Amino acid sequence: MSPGKTKGIGPYLLIAPAGLLLAVFLVLPYLNIGVMSFRVPGQGTPYGEGFTLVNYARFFADSFYIWQVVNTLWIGFLTTAICLVIGFPVAWQLTRPNMRFRGLAYGLVLSPLLVGIVIRSYGWTILLGNNGLINRTLTNMGLIDSPLPLMYNALGIIIALVHVFLPFMILPIMNGIQGIDPSLEAAARSLGASRTTAFRRIVLPLSMPGIQAGCILVFVLSLSAYVTPSLIGGLKVKTMAVTVVDALIDTFQWPFGSALALMLSVTGAVIVVIFGRMTRMKWKVA
Amino acid sequence: MTEVSIEKLTKSYGNARAVNAISMKIAEGEFISLLGPSGCGKTTTLKMIAGFEDVTEGAIRFDGQDVVNTPAEKRDIGMVFQNYALFPHMTVEQNLAFGLEMRKVPKPQMRERIAKVLDMVQLKGYEARYPRQLSGGQQQRVALGRALVIEPKILLLDEPLANLDAKLREEMRVFIRDLQRRVGITTVYVTHDQAEAMTMSDRVVVMFGGRIAQIGSPTDIYERPENHEVAEFVGQVNLVQAKVESVGEGTATVTSPLGDFTLPTKISVKPGNMVSLALRPEAIELSKATEGQPAATVLASYYSGALMDYRLKLDNGDELHAQTFPVNRFAEGDRVALHAPAERFWLVGVSK
Repeated sequence: MSPGKTKGIGPYLLIAPAGLLLAVFLVLPYLNIGVMSFRVPGQGTPYGEGFTLVNYARFFADSFYIWQVVNTLWIGFLTTAICLVIGFPVAWQLTRPNMRFRGLAYGLVLSPLLVGIVIRSYGWTILLGNNGLINRTLTNMGLIDSPLPLMYNALGIIIALVHVFLPFMILPIMNGIQGIDPSLEAAARSLGASRTTAFRRIVLPLSMPGIQAGCILVFVLSLSAYVTPSLIGGLKVKTMAVTVVDALIDTFQWPFGSALALMLSVTGAVIVVIFGRMTRMKWKVA
Repeated sequence: MTEVSIEKLTKSYGNARAVNAISMKIAEGEFISLLGPSGCGKTTTLKMIAGFEDVTEGAIRFDGQDVVNTPAEKRDIGMVFQNYALFPHMTVEQNLAFGLEMRKVPKPQMRERIAKVLDMVQLKGYEARYPRQLSGGQQQRVALGRALVIEPKILLLDEPLANLDAKLREEMRVFIRDLQRRVGITTVYVTHDQAEAMTMSDRVVVMFGGRIAQIGSPTDIYERPENHEVAEFVGQVNLVQAKVESVGEGTATVTSPLGDFTLPTKISVKPGNMVSLALRPEAIELSKATEGQPAATVLASYYSGALMDYRLKLDNGDELHAQTFPVNRFAEGDRVALHAPAERFWLVGVSK
């Protein structure tokens, strides 16, 4: 028997723990949400008897919810784009062989993940609030008359999300760049390419797998973020995740909340698939 | 066609000198190999010629023009890397086009040149393949084509055959050599494989410890090595004890278990000195032992198809390695007579 062509139940046993985990904590809950989203809204109870499409009808009938999905996606897009623009140079620098203080820099990259999510978000409210550090400093310096609106809006949410999700952009890109054979750059130079051209034509396209992975991670994380948007967005700007939790917990509308949750998941999944198609690398699958 | 001249080229890393004031001239269209063990400075030298490594001291001239301060992309060289360094996200055609695009060659002309080179490296029909869809040998030929299509001044190859299996390696040796002759491009080839260097090169530069030990034709290097290190590196060597009987004008007459010889010598010896004679295994011929001939006993014999290898023991206890065609075969324990022509010996040094 040749390796890689193992027969029997061995391979299945190996993936069984992961499969079980997925089944119990992902597939079952999704099935539950799916079923719940078709239930009749309850009167005084989380849900009533029988099944209906009314929850989805309510979603599509109310432009408020559609706009909220659009807003959430928009925040996700911007967070991803800003993470990419900030993260790529950092990832690039961290992979340079002559990089000094690499350990320290690496620690700094990971630092947002070392602080609890609630504490970190409160930290941002201290910085971004109307009476926060940034606005007070600018006012005291006489640069502004009234506080800049940094909180309770999309800007504040994006700032805080970029901060925490940056590592999820940087690490996959680093991984991608590290996998690029340094002699490729040398080969490009020997063929007459300047450093800039070699970067643009060789290094950048070859780091696409890392960029793709980082973008998907950050985008998906941004869509599903709850604590940061709810603390920084407050009551004024709500992302879809916040609205879903409101529906499920505050107003006890389990069927409608489930429908909202599924609409967000489906839109997110569709966008990820389209993005994956658009950035498909022929040279990798060939 | 370009002539390359290297003058007192030095590369230091801190106090260590990877390349130590080496000088050489490479003629137009010449195929020269830098041969040596790892760490001898051959790859560093190649990288300095290519412009990937800064020069600490010395000059590199292409047709008299010093290029030490010219960046790699302006040196107009074609380079083949050990791992081929093909661009994985580009097809064979795009790989070949890259250098031409950098030179802003117009499209129709570009297509023509690519077609010509693909024909040359026998890869017609592979234009649309990605590197990972090619075998090692094919990737190697793409790399060669990509380096040649820009019609560079000089072709540099850094151990290009090291990743191929033995049979393909031998085919590629001939292929590269023939191609180089046909194109007539000045070529510098780095290798640690002496057979590769010998079969391909016009001249071989043997390097040890950042210095040039010998520059010469493959024949010179193999048959007239300047020192024992070179002799050992380019092939197997037998050492036979001998005694100097008399000394002439640049020659010495010695007696040895293999007979008495008068040999040219570059080292000064005095009558009565004990010296070592060096001899290649294939310079020894064996026949059935007869009276009056230097003789030995066969300790072991190894058949490798084209050749026989023998381990022999001289009557004084010294061991010899002989390599012959398997015409007359001898078995373990046989007594054999040894024949070795005087011109195949050289004198390597005085032993105490």
